[in-house]
Amino acid sequence: MKPANRVMKQVLRGGVAMVVATIIGGTSLSVAQESVSVRATLMTGGVPIDDPNAAAWSSAPPATFPMSPQVHWPNRIQEVTVKDVSVRALHDGKQVAFLLEYADPTQDPDDAAALEFMVGDKKAHFAHGQPMLQVEGGPVNIWFWKNKTNKAADMTAKGFGTLKPQEHQDVTAKGVYSNGSWKVVFSRNLSTGHAEEDVQITPGQFISIAFAVWDGRKDGAGELVEKGSQKAVSSWWYFRADAPPDYSGYMYAAIAAALALGFQFVLIRKLKKGQ
Amino acid sequence: MGALGKPIILMVGMYLFLKFVLPNIPGSAPLPSSLIFLYLLLTASGIVIYETLSGESKDAFWGPMQRFLTGENVGGLQALRYGVLILFPLLVGWQTYGSTAVSDLPPTESRTVHPAPPGEYTGLSNPVPKTPDNIMQGKGFYAAFCSPCHGGNFDGKGPAARGFIPAPANFADPTTIAMLQESYLFWRIKKGGVGLPIEGTPWKSAMPRWEVELPDEWIWKIIMGEYDGAHQSPRTWE
Ligand code: HEC
Repeated sequence: MKPANRVMKQVLRGGVAMVVATIIGGTSLSVAQESVSVRATLMTGGVPIDDPNAAAWSSAPPATFPMSPQVHWPNRIQEVTVKDVSVRALHDGKQVAFLLEYADPTQDPDDAAALEFMVGDKKAHFAHGQPMLQVEGGPVNIWFWKNKTNKAADMTAKGFGTLKPQEHQDVTAKGVYSNGSWKVVFSRNLSTGHAEEDVQITPGQFISIAFAVWDGRKDGAGELVEKGSQKAVSSWWYFRADAPPDYSGYMYAAIAAALALGFQFVLIRKLKKGQ
Repeated sequence: MGALGKPIILMVGMYLFLKFVLPNIPGSAPLPSSLIFLYLLLTASGIVIYETLSGESKDAFWGPMQRFLTGENVGGLQALRYGVLILFPLLVGWQTYGSTAVSDLPPTESRTVHPAPPGEYTGLSNPVPKTPDNIMQGKGFYAAFCSPCHGGNFDGKGPAARGFIPAPANFADPTTIAMLQESYLFWRIKKGGVGLPIEGTPWKSAMPRWEVELPDEWIWKIIMGEYDGAHQSPRTWE
């Protein structure tokens, strides 16, 4: 038999190691990773649906997404002006607003931008919901803003050449140009009455979103360079409107901690009595 | 080594294995920490059962533990004892919080990079003779149609690649075309991203469906040019 003291020290060393191990294990679970999505921060008191410079936007974290020239289907374009877009979103439980920001050296009448969403449960190809050969796809909902009217069009597509404005126009948009960059706000109610053609936004749920931008500059011959399918595009990314805060996790944690405390208490009582 | 030294080393070793060694074994992935916690609990109960099987080791194992818990004759360790008694419930609470909290991360979608091709695209052989002329032509078509995404150097880093996820394939990488047969490439090039089965997440792929723009003969020539340019050769079996 070893002197009790030495054994005790080993117990402690081991205990400390275990505690450290659990803390490391627990921490890696709770550290949030760099998110690949746009979050709509929940706010109270009305989202700034027509003000790209509203102070409320500073409470929404921006997410940046890389853009490519559209070389996926004809007509292609090999070089575009906009290389990245920065996106923020806010919602108040009723309305959602997206703020799209990007650098564009010149303000042109034909400048335009769009958001694209998957609609419903079916997957849709990011290029206008073009048909997939082995998977049944769904439509996409496109919110299209152009500088000429400084308004939004609420559109649907399911394949190339099928893009058309919807009967029900539910989206508003407004762009403001300054210092070499565009800020465009798109907004809509979280849900609409037309679930077959409009994306329905349920707080807490992830939804696929993509972006497109046209720089309306003209070439030497006076022709538009970026138009129609010749634009800057992104892949699918995720969007989520924040769910209202849920504190039940804290309650469960408190109950578990209380149970553990009670268990310790009973155990020590028992041990003391048994001696 | 006391009766307690070995179990402790075993626990720490088990933790390090689960956390750092296992994820690096090919084909496995990092374990969620709730699972690691569960495995550690199982290991601990295994040790307790093993240690309490024989009367003698039982005493060596439980004796010091009991004295520490009840606080008898622990002397200078009293402060530590209180620390452990406070920390334990807090840890239990923390673990519970972690396992009930909703994740902030988007759903993870796994993508099968090389799903099985449809039957009619297995075992086809390139009908175009492998002459320097045809290879040259293939490289020319590649430069015109494929290089914006797959890159002039066949490395997947074309000028249009940056926004596309999944990224355009890097043909110089030994895990792409070097692992594949010409027949498989013929399928992928003809049908593109939209031709993938569901496990290939076709809705995300920017790979064009070239059959609507290029004749088969060009595609076979491009395949030759692609292998030659990327310094790879097709997988041949069967
Ligand atoms: C718009 C960008 C784009 C263009 C242009 C393009 N590809 Fe792709 N290609 C991709 C992407 C993205 C992938 C990866 C996703 C996938 O497998 O569908 C890919 C995958 C592939 C693969 C599969 C490689 C593997 O390891 O499975 C082949 C083969 C291929 N491309 C050949 C070509 C050829 C040949 C051309 C020209 C005729 C071409 N691509 C043009 C984007 C492109």
